[in-house]
Amino acid sequence: MSGRAVARAAASRVLAVLRRQSQRAVGFGLRRNVLLIFTLGSLTLSAFLAVTTYGLVRSNLTDQRDSSSRVAAYRNAQAVQNALQGEPATAELATRELQRLNVERPVIRYGGEWTGTGRFGFEAIPDSLQARVLEDLTPARMITNVGDETVLVVGIPLPELGGYFEFFSMEDDNRALSNVALSLFLAAVITTLLGVLLGAFAARRAVRPVAAAAQAAKAIAGGRLDTRLDDTQDPDLGVLASSFNDMASALQLRLERDARFASDVSHELRSPLMTLSASVEVMQARRNDLPERAQSALDLLSGDVARFQGLVEDLLEISRFDAGAIRLHLEDLLVIEFVRQAVAVSSTPSIAVAAHGRAERAVIRGDRRRLARVVANLIDNALAYGGGEPTVDVADGAPDEPALTHVRIAVEDHGPGVPVEERSIIFERFARGVGAGQRTGSEGAGLGLALVDEHVRMHGGRVWVDDRLDGKPGARFVIELMATEPE
Amino acid sequence: MGTRILAVEDDERIRTAVKLALEDEGWTVEEAASGEEAVTLFARQPPDVVLIDIMLPGIDGFDLCRTLRRTSDVPIVMVTARNDTHDVVAGLEAGADDYLTKPFAPKELSARIRALLRRVRPSAPGRERLVFGDLELIPEAGKVLRDSTEVHLTKTEFRLLCELAENPGKVLSREALLDKVWGYDYFGDGRLVDVHIRRLRTKIEADPAAPRHVVTVRGLGYRLET
Repeated sequence: MSGRAVARAAASRVLAVLRRQSQRAVGFGLRRNVLLIFTLGSLTLSAFLAVTTYGLVRSNLTDQRDSSSRVAAYRNAQAVQNALQGEPATAELATRELQRLNVERPVIRYGGEWTGTGRFGFEAIPDSLQARVLEDLTPARMITNVGDETVLVVGIPLPELGGYFEFFSMEDDNRALSNVALSLFLAAVITTLLGVLLGAFAARRAVRPVAAAAQAAKAIAGGRLDTRLDDTQDPDLGVLASSFNDMASALQLRLERDARFASDVSHELRSPLMTLSASVEVMQARRNDLPERAQSALDLLSGDVARFQGLVEDLLEISRFDAGAIRLHLEDLLVIEFVRQAVAVSSTPSIAVAAHGRAERAVIRGDRRRLARVVANLIDNALAYGGGEPTVDVADGAPDEPALTHVRIAVEDHGPGVPVEERSIIFERFARGVGAGQRTGSEGAGLGLALVDEHVRMHGGRVWVDDRLDGKPGARFVIELMATEPE
Repeated sequence: MGTRILAVEDDERIRTAVKLALEDEGWTVEEAASGEEAVTLFARQPPDVVLIDIMLPGIDGFDLCRTLRRTSDVPIVMVTARNDTHDVVAGLEAGADDYLTKPFAPKELSARIRALLRRVRPSAPGRERLVFGDLELIPEAGKVLRDSTEVHLTKTEFRLLCELAENPGKVLSREALLDKVWGYDYFGDGRLVDVHIRRLRTKIEADPAAPRHVVTVRGLGYRLET
């Protein structure tokens, strides 16, 4: 496998891992997890704070109400006791005394009789409270509901007299408490929302280096081998960045070494090749002086020296591609003129080139020497595998468009064709398909089509293989290039 | 004595094989293993064509080319290791007339040498002298005068100027010039023409950056102004 193919394979493996991770945990997953943690965290925290605060406020309020009620009840009970111990001692007087003191909801038990009836009368006093105060003679208090009003009932025994009860409304406290609850609820909601926002921000921050790594891996897969992640002070991300960069450097180094090796080998091969081809030529000039068997051997030798030379040239060319050392010498070329000239210098100059429609006037921008090799390689390929003389035609790439945009240069042969499953791998280096017997004869060096692909892609075009247009067996290799029509 | 070729190449086996192949063309081949040896041989008896490998021990091919160019207009073929722009253009700017990339077929080399030799004896435009402003061309004598002072051109530069002068005011495409001057087909290297035009301008133009004689016609080629 060539260096570039290794790069592509390795980088796409890295990319696949990153992509898989991003599907599982990173892209959506990590972000979602961070967001979820922040949301749940802020929700729990604010709920806890709200509930605790509410509890504290309520017990505070209750305590306050409780003690102030108790103080008031004791004072009023004292007044009642005083009134009942005086002369004449009637509940009537005690009640009047309480009215003077502005006591709102008193109930007195005196001499087995109750004062006060109605809504806040003795009927509203729970039995258990009555029992504790009147029978156990202990002061007691109880929260109860009268109608829909929550009240605190305080009962104080009046020794030998009876007992004193008073209702204290707790509605103010409840109102205050529900205000507090509402504020706390709103505060909790706001805090949670802030937590979610913070979580989203943190999630984005957390994913950013991973996204950067994915992008860098994609760039490397695309051939930009010098792509690196930025250095960072963050110790956690620093590990990711530095190991990613180490990987990229190792990959780049290895690919460069591979490319340099291929290039060095080809360079080293050129010197013996020079000697070989010159010597063979000297012998060819004296071919007729040789015995018949030596002639056959010489023909084999010179044929393979030429093939060897072609292969080394192809290897050099392809290692130049890998090193990115190819610079196109772009010119405007009249396609039909160019293709005819390219065919004329190919191994079968006799092929006629047909042109259809607007393609006859089409002009492409290209490197004529490199594109000529593309055409020559396709013709050689057709000759090697196609059986018989191929045909070459030039056609409009998009006949339905109002203006000419593309031209297609096609070479058709009469061979067995290329099976559909081999059509994409046939342009790889030294590709030998399943039908190797058919498509790779003795000429099957396997670099010609790879070079075609590299050259055409460098020109911004594409190349593919299809069935013959007339339906007969055979392959149709098509190059599509951008073209314009001169005014 | 026939045509003499000086082959400068440090690899002895290549040198010998190339010598054998070129001798089959009926040429005499002298060998030099280094630039220094080539300079000595050249001084003793200047050859008709020099073949220089760029990668040489000691003074390299570019320097050797420049050294020879200081005193001679002999046709020079460079052998470059790579076909990249740097080596080719540097070789041509050092004064080479043509180049080949290793590995080349000896047949190709002899074709290049034949084209260069043909060029040394140009088919004269037929007129005795041609005048273009301050420029004067005497094809028969192989002379070019600027402001009545002789300008020294290499044979290829002279031949290029003659082709342009044969069609004054007419645009000649790179392909046409490659065909006429170098004997290349449609797929010759246009850089040959561009570098030689540039070198020609430094010799015959008052201001090579703003040429008045040899004008570039964008996308088409070159023209000699009348």
